[in-house]
Amino acid sequence: MPTLRIDNREVSVEDGATILQAARKLGIDVPALCWREGCTPQTSCLACVVKVNGGQRLLPSCATRVAEGMAVESETPEVHAARRMAIELLLADHAGDCLAPCTNICPAHMDIPQMLRLISAGRYHDALVVVKDKIALPAVLGRICPELCEKGCRRAAMDSPVSICSLKRFVADVDLESGQPWLPAVRPASGKRVAIVGAGAAGLAAAWYLQQLGHQCTLFDEHPLPGGNLRYAVPKELLPDDVLDAEIELTRRLGAEFVLNTRIGQQVSIKELQGRFDAVLLTVGEVDKVKATALGVDMAGKGLKVDKHVMMTPLSGVFAAGGAVQPMRHAIRAVREGRDAAHIIDGWLSGQILTPVKPDFTVRLGVLTDEELSIYTNGASDQERSSSHGLPAGLTEAQAVAQADRCLDCDCSKAEGCRLRGYAGIYEANYKRYAMPRRQVERVEAHPHVIWEPGKCIACGLCVQIATRAQEPLGLAYIGRGFNIRVAAPFDGQMSEALKTVAREVCEACPTAALTLREKAHEHAK
Amino acid sequence: MTQTLEKVEQEPQVDLLFVEEAVGRIGRTADKMIPILQAIQEHYHYLPEPALRKVCQLTEITPSAIVGVATFYSQFRHKPAGEHIIRVCHGTACHVKGSELVHDAINRHLNIPAEQDTDADGKFTIERVGCVGCCTLAPVVVIDTATYGHCAPDSVGNAVADFLVSGAGSQDGQSEQRQDKVEGDSVPEIRIGVGSCCIAGGSQKVRHALEQAVSRHGARVMVKPVGCVGMCHQTPLVEVVYKDRPSRLYAKVTEDQASAIVREHFPPRGLWRRLRGAVHTALDHLLTDETWQPVTRYSIDKRDGPVCDFLSRQKHLATEFCGDIDPLDLDEYMRYGGFGALRKVLGLEESHSGNGHNGQAGLTQLKVKAAAGSPGIVPEQIIQTITQAGLRGRGGAGFLSGRKWAAVRAAKGEKKYIVCNGDEGDPGAFMDRMILESYPYRELEGMTIAAIAVGARQGYLYIRAEYPLAVKRIRQAIARLEERNLLGDNILGSGYSLHLQVMEGAGAFVCGEETALLASIEGQRGMPRLRPPYPAESGLWGYPTLINNVETYALVPWIIRNGAEAFSNLGTATSKGTKVFALTGKVNRGGLIEVPMGITIRQIVQDIGGGCAEGRKFKAVQVGGPSGGCIPAELSDMPVDYESLTAAGAMMGSGGLVVLDDSDCMVDIARYFLNFTQAESCGKCTFCRVGTKMMLEILERLCEGKARPGDLEKMEELAQVTRRGSICGLGQTAPNPVLSTLRYFRHEYEAHLKGHCPAGKCKALIKYEVTNTCIGCTKCSQECPADAIPMVPYQIHKIDNAKCTRCDICRLVCPVDAIVIR
Repeated sequence: MPTLRIDNREVSVEDGATILQAARKLGIDVPALCWREGCTPQTSCLACVVKVNGGQRLLPSCATRVAEGMAVESETPEVHAARRMAIELLLADHAGDCLAPCTNICPAHMDIPQMLRLISAGRYHDALVVVKDKIALPAVLGRICPELCEKGCRRAAMDSPVSICSLKRFVADVDLESGQPWLPAVRPASGKRVAIVGAGAAGLAAAWYLQQLGHQCTLFDEHPLPGGNLRYAVPKELLPDDVLDAEIELTRRLGAEFVLNTRIGQQVSIKELQGRFDAVLLTVGEVDKVKATALGVDMAGKGLKVDKHVMMTPLSGVFAAGGAVQPMRHAIRAVREGRDAAHIIDGWLSGQILTPVKPDFTVRLGVLTDEELSIYTNGASDQERSSSHGLPAGLTEAQAVAQADRCLDCDCSKAEGCRLRGYAGIYEANYKRYAMPRRQVERVEAHPHVIWEPGKCIACGLCVQIATRAQEPLGLAYIGRGFNIRVAAPFDGQMSEALKTVAREVCEACPTAALTLREKAHEHAK
Repeated sequence: MTQTLEKVEQEPQVDLLFVEEAVGRIGRTADKMIPILQAIQEHYHYLPEPALRKVCQLTEITPSAIVGVATFYSQFRHKPAGEHIIRVCHGTACHVKGSELVHDAINRHLNIPAEQDTDADGKFTIERVGCVGCCTLAPVVVIDTATYGHCAPDSVGNAVADFLVSGAGSQDGQSEQRQDKVEGDSVPEIRIGVGSCCIAGGSQKVRHALEQAVSRHGARVMVKPVGCVGMCHQTPLVEVVYKDRPSRLYAKVTEDQASAIVREHFPPRGLWRRLRGAVHTALDHLLTDETWQPVTRYSIDKRDGPVCDFLSRQKHLATEFCGDIDPLDLDEYMRYGGFGALRKVLGLEESHSGNGHNGQAGLTQLKVKAAAGSPGIVPEQIIQTITQAGLRGRGGAGFLSGRKWAAVRAAKGEKKYIVCNGDEGDPGAFMDRMILESYPYRELEGMTIAAIAVGARQGYLYIRAEYPLAVKRIRQAIARLEERNLLGDNILGSGYSLHLQVMEGAGAFVCGEETALLASIEGQRGMPRLRPPYPAESGLWGYPTLINNVETYALVPWIIRNGAEAFSNLGTATSKGTKVFALTGKVNRGGLIEVPMGITIRQIVQDIGGGCAEGRKFKAVQVGGPSGGCIPAELSDMPVDYESLTAAGAMMGSGGLVVLDDSDCMVDIARYFLNFTQAESCGKCTFCRVGTKMMLEILERLCEGKARPGDLEKMEELAQVTRRGSICGLGQTAPNPVLSTLRYFRHEYEAHLKGHCPAGKCKALIKYEVTNTCIGCTKCSQECPADAIPMVPYQIHKIDNAKCTRCDICRLVCPVDAIVIR
């Protein structure tokens, strides 16, 4: 059993083990995209490189055998930079959006195609859960949101965008009207207390998520009723009070307390709050110099001074979000900031760690050619668009299902299972760093169980190896070489002929969505 | 051939009887894949899919494997080709001498549309080829098997026309035919070089003419084909060698001069012949309408200045007896001491050295002596000698050969293989081709000794397909050695056996990497794998395998005969012996040279090469091809050895030395090499597959004046990680041309960032202009293929730069050099 050191941590492994195996034994998550248990190492992706014994070379850990006394560097800036480069180079030659453009445009990054698929399946409750994961006040926003997401909808190039905003309102209304609106599971109480100053969109959203995370929130507001601008600035015909009240009530049911008619900085000082609470969040809406001085926080530009990444003001444990930091045009942004603040404060409360909230990694292809678009529009529903935007009545159930059906499902079918995307996120890869003319987006659905998207293939060859080992009569082949290397069935054959027996294993092995098992496509929806 | 092609085009049903025949002849196992595909391609001119499917039915080969292999190697075509294939060489020497312009010119000449490769009549298909190894004749175009050197955009049509008139046969029709032996020691010889460069220069025609002249005059002289002399800049070379008088060397001999040379040296005997000779001479006069000029005008004395400079600094070990011996004359090779090393190893005393023609009889005697129990040299001692000699692999990396041999010897395996790496893919290098063509017996003797040393009984010579003559000669040499029991079972009764065969490459530079080469022999895609395990431990089919470069094996007999010390006395402290270089590019005397390690670049370029051609300024030398780098003229006094070259950012590589002058753009050179490695990357690992592509994108932007700030830094970053992170030698060294040019010529990159090409090479950044010296002759206007020069006689011409394609023809045809690049 040779013993080696990885990042100065000692580990003993079996004779003949690889550095990757040793690293995993230590719990180090080395990104090995093209490695699979039971397969010969492909040494293709090179995202798993390590440095050995201080040498110059970067060796693939998946195929480098350990030796007694070896000194391996894995989690160092230098090694990480090389791994990031490998990932970025792979992304440069990988044609596919991870998330749909609507999700990317939505300030709250709500998983819209997911919501639509669930509505389409009649699973309104599950759809609501997806919505509320990102948007705390969907019934409210379903009425006043400026439909930014719909600007990104790929269906717009075909006829008109899916009425996403109306559908969000639909699921939220169904939930509220059910009489037993959904309340999320709540983590055990942490014993920590958070003061939220300002019960507008940002404050309410922060409370909704902080309560779920087990922290006791108290919302202070100078007005007699909570809601801030939602109540006092938005026209009532667009947003009736009963809808606003119903969603605020849910926050209350989660345990949030409201202290109204109380102006912080006047009646109660921030210092006092700091003394009584473990953290303070300022969601007071737009501020001026006077207001800022009263709060005791410096101004920077048009709002309170914060560290942008972690939202903390110069006062320790005092955070600020929403219009208090930068004037907000859209409530949806405030809602998103409230959520981000909740997660940052959660980290702060659980150990004084400030971790920025990173948006989920995604490639953004931008404009598709007509040919590429036809992949999604072929066979799409021909239903016309209808919307409830600005109308007192929402969509009917039949309308909602028909509208949700219009979605082209242009998000990646393996967005959650894709290892390339996973590590791209962890390594904070910039998919645009090595921009070059991009590959074509392709999707072939000739196999009864497999969706094949050649543009997403990173040529790791695991599928070729697995099909060859299983002696598939046709199997898969590398075609060409160098940058133009591709994997496909020989003799222009179909995937259905190529993968007769190992379709499942090949799809599981594929590190991207180049090969996806149809039944697992968009699996997180199921 | 035409019939076959038409058939293919007319009916989709391809006649597959040939496939059955070929498979029956070649074999049905997976390792026969590449030879089968080569046979199919030769027959059909491409690989018809039904033929590939048929192969899968008839053999162990799977569809996945056959498609993978057929699309990996660039030799294989997947759509029908024209009747004749024109291969335009884009090797380094050809590139710096304008191969792109030649390529464009052929396309124009044959009206081949953009994006296509075959002319409308289906007569010619044009292909790019990495390097045909005739670098001293650059730019080179090969039509079927006929090689045309010194092509230029304005004259390449002549090559096509010549081919249509004389066909490929003009060059090799007579090739390996031999004149009947003229016996006797004192018979003088007329030696004519038959290396590929000489043949491309027309030496077969000259040889034929010499032979005719000899028989016509009844001269008592032997016309002898000899291997490469190395003076490739002077081809075809003819040397008249007497046993008792100084010899005479003739350079750039043409067919017409053959007869004159013969008459000059060997006046016809007897009245009738003299008369006939006189008639011929008179006819010559009539035909040429010239007064007789003595042939001495064309002759060179080896002691003359330039030739003396070219030859005197050289030291011929791997190329011993260069220009003296007939490549395939085994008896002659033995007279010159050939197989002396093997005899020594086998303990067969040398009964005679350097004289006698009875090689066969001698060997029979020797067998008896061996049986009597001569000691010979045991394998360990051979390895010790090679180690003490300090021999390092000549393929590029310079690993100590003795250590490698010892590892193979020590490795456990029920059998072991020996492999000769003759996949000399570096553009700008042709050392291995020349050794294989000129000294096939030496190569095989070296391999036999190595095989004995490591315990291998089977082996391959992997030779690239672009070297047909080398393949042919090695095959012939193997057959002759087997006939004489110098190869095969129980060699000379020694108990050692060795079976060698040739494996032809199929067009993949990466197969020069040893693990890729082995995969290729096994019939797979030439994709390298991570080492360790090294081939010494697990090579061909998992057995211990010794793999060395051509030149390494060729040095072995010399070392065994002369001893380790004689070898290690040559060279530097860490780089022993000699190195063969292909000296090409912008140099006056290009050729094949073998020099002691440690010689300086200046000595090579200035003394041997005679400096830059056309009075240009020596700027840099590109050493080691795509794996190497550019060493600037300022570092000319650097000794050439493994360590110095690596420290300077270059690499010994296999030994291509391309001289660059002040008209060469270093960014273009880097782009050229990156384009090469990027196209030759196997595509396995990310850094090489995508990283080199990205570097190339940046270089292309630079050459087009579209680069962005930060591009240089990004490229350097990519270069560093690709160098350190790629799994094989190709990827690890691919960034060297970029890194070395950035190191020494960063100012040129910076100029390109600002949209300026200092050397005036990058098409997008230059303009052609007419100076006042123009005489208005309209020649440029007539020749311009883009109609960019209006036809206005007796006026200074003007070039419309919007129409101009920068094909360079106007500048070449201008009689008064009035066209300049700005």
